[in-house]
Amino acid sequence: MKMKHKRKVDTVALAFVAPALLLYVLFVILPTVSSFYYSLTSWDGISPIIHFIGLANYREIFTSARFGNALINTVILTVFISVFENALALILALAVDNVHWGKNVFRSVLYLPVLISGIVSGFIWKIMYNYNFGAINSFLKNVGLGNYTQDWLGNTKITLIMIGVVLVWKGAGYYMIIYLAGLQSVSTDVIEAAQIDGAGPAQRFRHITLPLISGTFTINFTLSLINGLKVFDQISVMTDGGPGFTSETIVYLLYKVGFNEGRQGFGTAVGVVLLFIIIVLNTLQQKFLRSREVQI
Amino acid sequence: MKAVKKPTARDFILFVLLIFISLLFLYPILFALQSAFKSNGEILKNPIALPTTFYVQNFKDLFEQSDFFTAIVHSVCLTVVSELLIILIVPMAAYAIDRRPGRFTGLLYTFFLAGMMVPFHLYMFPLFKEMKFFHIFGTMAGPVVSYIAGSVSFGTLLYCSFLKTVPLEIEEAAKIDGCTPFMTFWRVTFPLLGPCTGSMVILNGLGIWNDYLMPYLVLPSGKAKTITVEIASFVGQYTARWDIVFAGTIISIVPALIIFIMFQKYFVKGITAGGAKG
Repeated sequence: MKMKHKRKVDTVALAFVAPALLLYVLFVILPTVSSFYYSLTSWDGISPIIHFIGLANYREIFTSARFGNALINTVILTVFISVFENALALILALAVDNVHWGKNVFRSVLYLPVLISGIVSGFIWKIMYNYNFGAINSFLKNVGLGNYTQDWLGNTKITLIMIGVVLVWKGAGYYMIIYLAGLQSVSTDVIEAAQIDGAGPAQRFRHITLPLISGTFTINFTLSLINGLKVFDQISVMTDGGPGFTSETIVYLLYKVGFNEGRQGFGTAVGVVLLFIIIVLNTLQQKFLRSREVQI
Repeated sequence: MKAVKKPTARDFILFVLLIFISLLFLYPILFALQSAFKSNGEILKNPIALPTTFYVQNFKDLFEQSDFFTAIVHSVCLTVVSELLIILIVPMAAYAIDRRPGRFTGLLYTFFLAGMMVPFHLYMFPLFKEMKFFHIFGTMAGPVVSYIAGSVSFGTLLYCSFLKTVPLEIEEAAKIDGCTPFMTFWRVTFPLLGPCTGSMVILNGLGIWNDYLMPYLVLPSGKAKTITVEIASFVGQYTARWDIVFAGTIISIVPALIIFIMFQKYFVKGITAGGAKG
């Protein structure tokens, strides 16, 4: 009797979670789990017959030059975005936190780009980058720097960086809000104590503020890395992965092979590799956070 | 309370610097706004000049030459219907997880949060196949169910962290008064979750409003889909009519802007709660 009682299912809890659980399992977990199966097939996305081909897709991923290229592009774009987004967000947060007038107004204005969709932000910048009619070249000509005008998205050496700039502009405000919350949690007592002990602003930042917001930094950096890996809309509207393959990232490759080239089995395998990368990044973050906690 | 201190020279420099940075941040948005009120010729001739007249032909052309009205209706419907259902489903699940601790709910918490790692791009191909099986591919129901399912992870995180700050006493009193758990939740606890619901609806709703890939791929082709999808298709189609695209851009940004100005504090709360736990 006692055993039975112990194993009793909490029916109330079950009833409360049932709708969410059902939809989550059906439309997130099931497609995720089955994507492992599809990644082992040559499925084209349309035909009802699906051929099992074992690890052939994965073999192709790790030997094809196209995936290698996409991987390098993804690393460049993601690292660029994460480094500059976080540096900018931290600087902005420090500035907004210390400004004497209009703190809330500055915070709101710097957050505005976050509200804009990926497609719209990509379009606006695409026009600003335009060689003949873009705002940037037009501005450079007006201030006498005509020599620096160029085809910003067409120059294959800088295409990825130019896309990265859009993402940094659009994302910095988001991370700034998280840094601001982190900065506000640093107790003023500690800062004042250091001030009395004769620590200057730079020393206070380096030895008090920075260590205390290192947790926030780890979280923000991981978040921006993972978001950087998933960039899609801007690439789609600005370059479509081009010129050639210069801005084709893993996610864009996945999309193109799946929908334009009818190879959804292969595309799904690329997705599985992406998931693996995200899990590794997340695990590293957890480890790093924990080791930091011990130090403090 | 901070002591009121006299502004120093450093304060002035920082203030001026922030104004300059803010203007740089605002510029692309202002550029879109001014271009929406310029004719195509004006945009091409001098992209950085301000419009000389209040020119609204772009907006007229936008609605005459495309089915942009349908796109607006679709965007509004998808966002509103999804959010209503999310609020009906997700807080209840989080409530059970937080208030009825046990092995089942503990496992469920981990199970739900694990979904935050899964990128949509990974499972979209099998998802669409599944939608076809349920006959919801090519209908509004397709994106709606996926948006709800996709919101469970972040929603659980957000509501569970907020529920810890809601005192138990009132719920216990309601229980003693004979309220069923269902009624206790909707009548007593849910109203106390207002700020959290605000954050959830605003952050999640913005994501749906701005989403591109799902409506683009799931909604039936040959008709207008959503605002974002229409803008993306204009970029390809009307390569010579930037003025029209800019008009669409402004229509896409303005509602988000209004919501942001009205409910700013919910944005901040939701972002920090999401960031605190990663």
